[in-house]
Amino acid sequence: SGSTDFRKRVSTLFKNWYQVCEVSGANETACSEYVLHLYQTGLLKGDDTTESFFRILLELSVAHCISSEEISSGAVQSPQQAQSPSFLIIDIFAKLVFSILKYFPEQESSSKFFLLSEIMAVTVRSIQKDAEDKKASLSPRPYFRLFINWLLDLCSLDPVTDGANFQVPFANAFHALQPLKIPAFSFAWLELVSHRSFLPKLLTVNGQKGWPYVQRLLVDLLQFLEPFLRNAELGGPVHILYKGTLRVLLVLLHDFPEFLCDYHFTFCDVIPSSCVQMRNIILSSFPRNMRLPDPSTPNLKIDLLPEIVEAPCILSEVDAALKANQMKNDVEEYLTSRQHDTTFLSELKLKLLVSSSEASSAGTRYNVPLINSLVLYTGMQAIQQLQQAGETGAQNVVALHMFKYLSVELDTEGRYLFLNAIANQLRYPNNHTHYFSFIMLYLFLESDQVVIQEQITRVLLERLIVNRPHPWGLLITFIELIKNPRYGFWKHGFIRCAPEIEKLFESVARSCGCLKP
Amino acid sequence: GSIGDPSALGPMHDQMYNLQMLEAAYYRLPQPKDSERPRPYTPRNPAITPQTFPQTQAPIVNNPLFWERLGSDAYGTETLFFAFYYQQNSYQQYLAAKELKKQSWRYHRKFNTWFQRHKEPKIATDEYEQGAYVYFDFQTPKDESQEGGWVQRIKNEFTFEYSYLEDELAV
Repeated sequence: SGSTDFRKRVSTLFKNWYQVCEVSGANETACSEYVLHLYQTGLLKGDDTTESFFRILLELSVAHCISSEEISSGAVQSPQQAQSPSFLIIDIFAKLVFSILKYFPEQESSSKFFLLSEIMAVTVRSIQKDAEDKKASLSPRPYFRLFINWLLDLCSLDPVTDGANFQVPFANAFHALQPLKIPAFSFAWLELVSHRSFLPKLLTVNGQKGWPYVQRLLVDLLQFLEPFLRNAELGGPVHILYKGTLRVLLVLLHDFPEFLCDYHFTFCDVIPSSCVQMRNIILSSFPRNMRLPDPSTPNLKIDLLPEIVEAPCILSEVDAALKANQMKNDVEEYLTSRQHDTTFLSELKLKLLVSSSEASSAGTRYNVPLINSLVLYTGMQAIQQLQQAGETGAQNVVALHMFKYLSVELDTEGRYLFLNAIANQLRYPNNHTHYFSFIMLYLFLESDQVVIQEQITRVLLERLIVNRPHPWGLLITFIELIKNPRYGFWKHGFIRCAPEIEKLFESVARSCGCLKP
Repeated sequence: GSIGDPSALGPMHDQMYNLQMLEAAYYRLPQPKDSERPRPYTPRNPAITPQTFPQTQAPIVNNPLFWERLGSDAYGTETLFFAFYYQQNSYQQYLAAKELKKQSWRYHRKFNTWFQRHKEPKIATDEYEQGAYVYFDFQTPKDESQEGGWVQRIKNEFTFEYSYLEDELAV
């Protein structure tokens, strides 16, 4: 039939290509002639034939790789002992794709990118199908090797003008192959996404155009990890993936702190509240040109820091969850009304809950992104109103009312998530850090229930007793709380509820440069 | 949220399935050499060595000063030849070649061999020079009778044609 004939034809063409590589050592003339031949026979037009052509090539090379592995290995082995499959044919196929893009007729360079996207799409569909068919016996290594080849080769193609364009089709392919879609590809996926030829390039080439793609891939990874981390199910494989994620975040913190900084809100939405250190890494990022004063400096006046009036750069859509829940207009109306509307507040409290079926799969009765969105959006509106009011002394009371109401009326779980949403804004010196530090201390001071003060202390403390890094604003807020006598911190019974807790407070106080009175 | 449409991704799997797949993937981890180009002479074959042995490459190997020091004594020159012949297409090969050139070794492109003048050449024209040279014999012996390779030898009456002189690598 036609399809077997075509398969034979592709197979013959591939053998010819193999000879071009082996015999001529893949010299420029031979490669460009071969590509021109493919082009002239109409195989690179970008239609269904093109798709079948690349699909068959991929199948042939993957099959070769896997059969070589089966020959060289016997029974199931440990990862350390695993025999290596032969990547010879995979490398030859990768080289063909690279040569096609390199020697594609000059006048057709616009369809070159279309062709690359086509090849990516074919590859993604083949991997998806292979994963669906083979499930746990999927072999990720041939595909991993293929992408590695492409990342290394394509980045060498005119990096100045084409660099960014080449990364984007890869970013889209990796998004489609994310761990939630193909869990059996997770480890190879993380290596690809964090590869030195991919991640740093996507973050540096062409201004910040690549940032949303990196953000989306990180969210893909964190979403996959979320249920495991939330339930603290860190068995061997999950633990390895978690450690890999931490490493990638540390690289980003070191090399691209502004990236983590500007998207902190998005990442906090998908990191479970139990992941204190991972969230601290993100919240500790700050713009490179900034110098943070040592939080333990005696008599440090944060109000006098020049940066404290500046707004942080936030690239996340802060009001997205409010909009998605049709709440943005109501919240805005409440915040501009300047009236203490208790009906709105009691309805608001209920709207933060999710349905019981959602609650069982999400592991919480609350809509966490909605709480995060409400808290930051309200804070941003309040800051704006305070700035407009200037020196007239007008306080933004409605926002304060809302925060006070929620801290009193929410149950323990809701209040914990609400306080976490506030603590997520305690970062480097900026006006959000300043405002939310004030809110946190205000709620502590204004509260007539010990349980609220205890929870505030818990939220701050659990972010400080983990290993470094610690966000600057968090330290500043905690030090103020324990140092300033107006909060009467050391009078509270909950800090002496157990000897180890009491010792802990003393050691934290010492490390913050102040002693228990 | 302007890029991509999450609903286009189709249905997701459940947690148990994800865990099983992740465990399966754990036994098929990509190996470090999967992401490296094939290197014919020194492939990175992982072997289990004592933890007290260095587990990563010493950064000094990528430092030009290290190669300069190697060039300053006779044993070091051998190391430069080793790097040159065994570390294809690497920064080490580049640095070794650079240092050999600095030590007045000249690379013959036809014989793939490094030569150094033993005495001033007897004849020197625009096309070639002729005289006694020291060269580094990197070949291994073909049989018992032949002398072993990997030594410096002297060749009298050798003609070094300038067309075979490698002169692209700037020192």
